[in-house]
Amino acid sequence: MNDKSNELAKKIRAAQERQRQIATDGNDGSGEPGKDEKSKALRAGTDLVAALVVGIFIGYWVDRWLDTKPWGTIFFVFVGFAAGFLNIYRSQTGQDYKVGFKPSAPDKKTGSPDGGNGKTD
Amino acid sequence: MATNPLEQFVIKPLIPLHIGGYDVSFTQSSLWMAFAVIAATLLMTLSMRSKSVIPTRWQNMTEMTYEFIAGMVHEALGHEGRKYFAFVFSVFMIVLMGNMLGMIPYSFTFTSHIVVTGTLALMVFLTATLIGIIRHGLHFFTLFMPAGLPLVLAPLIILIEIVSYLSRPISLSVRLFANMVAGHTMMKVFAGFSVMMAASSGIGMAGAVLPLVINTALVGLEILIAFIQAYVFAILTCMYLKDAIELH
Repeated sequence: MNDKSNELAKKIRAAQERQRQIATDGNDGSGEPGKDEKSKALRAGTDLVAALVVGIFIGYWVDRWLDTKPWGTIFFVFVGFAAGFLNIYRSQTGQDYKVGFKPSAPDKKTGSPDGGNGKTD
Repeated sequence: MATNPLEQFVIKPLIPLHIGGYDVSFTQSSLWMAFAVIAATLLMTLSMRSKSVIPTRWQNMTEMTYEFIAGMVHEALGHEGRKYFAFVFSVFMIVLMGNMLGMIPYSFTFTSHIVVTGTLALMVFLTATLIGIIRHGLHFFTLFMPAGLPLVLAPLIILIEIVSYLSRPISLSVRLFANMVAGHTMMKVFAGFSVMMAASSGIGMAGAVLPLVINTALVGLEILIAFIQAYVFAILTCMYLKDAIELH
């Protein structure tokens, strides 16, 4: 009986340690990228494409408006790409869509600059 | 016997209705949206009816949901965030219910339509922008002008920042919509494999179990994704509100 409860206590401690590990660096110690990294990578796709779509859309309407076909579209594709990479840069560095450059203050609890919001997909 | 895996997303009007040349029929999508609202309301009210100190299972679930979102809002917006809790919570519940009710066989996933997710995302986006403008006036637009930016670069950077800002509702809506469509299509495709193999004879019939096993796992995965996507939607709503309130 006592043996069993000791064993359980040991298991709980190990699990707690693992959880703490995951909470601090998003790594479960298995050598594979943690859940955080994976979800960030998945998110990057939509972020890049969304900005590009906005860029192309604006470029297309600028062309219609100023009759500058195709220069507006070409210019805004590049602007869209830049904005897309900016989006990715921000989500990867944990600034999470903040407009304007300003590294976020380190989070008090985990010490990561993420503010604990990196668990988004 | 093979069915089109995309057929499940077809909108079917239940009560045809045309007003002023617009098709405003009550569709099965509207029906499930109504179900989602009713389900969320019932969950919140019925489970909290007893208000016991030792919570029942239902009450426990409701309290967990409440605390989950309250914690999220508090972490992102601080004390200021209390005001916006109802908004974030409503957005979270409607998305969660839409995703989860969609997991019931023969139901309809209204979050698998970009019109729905787009409207939700646009609502969040406009709300955040309006709150920003109301709180900060024209000062809000300094959001697009990072501090310490050289004036030579200003036109280009401001343009990029605006495009980045405008891309928010698109990436928010596309993410939810794409996840839902992809998941439900995949489940249907594997279910189709099962049906096709079962319809054949001999070894194919026995093999029909394999896609079924995979589909069972997929259902579990889809329930996880249904929750994660609602969570993402809510946390990004918080992030956007945070930008509008704090102006970095």
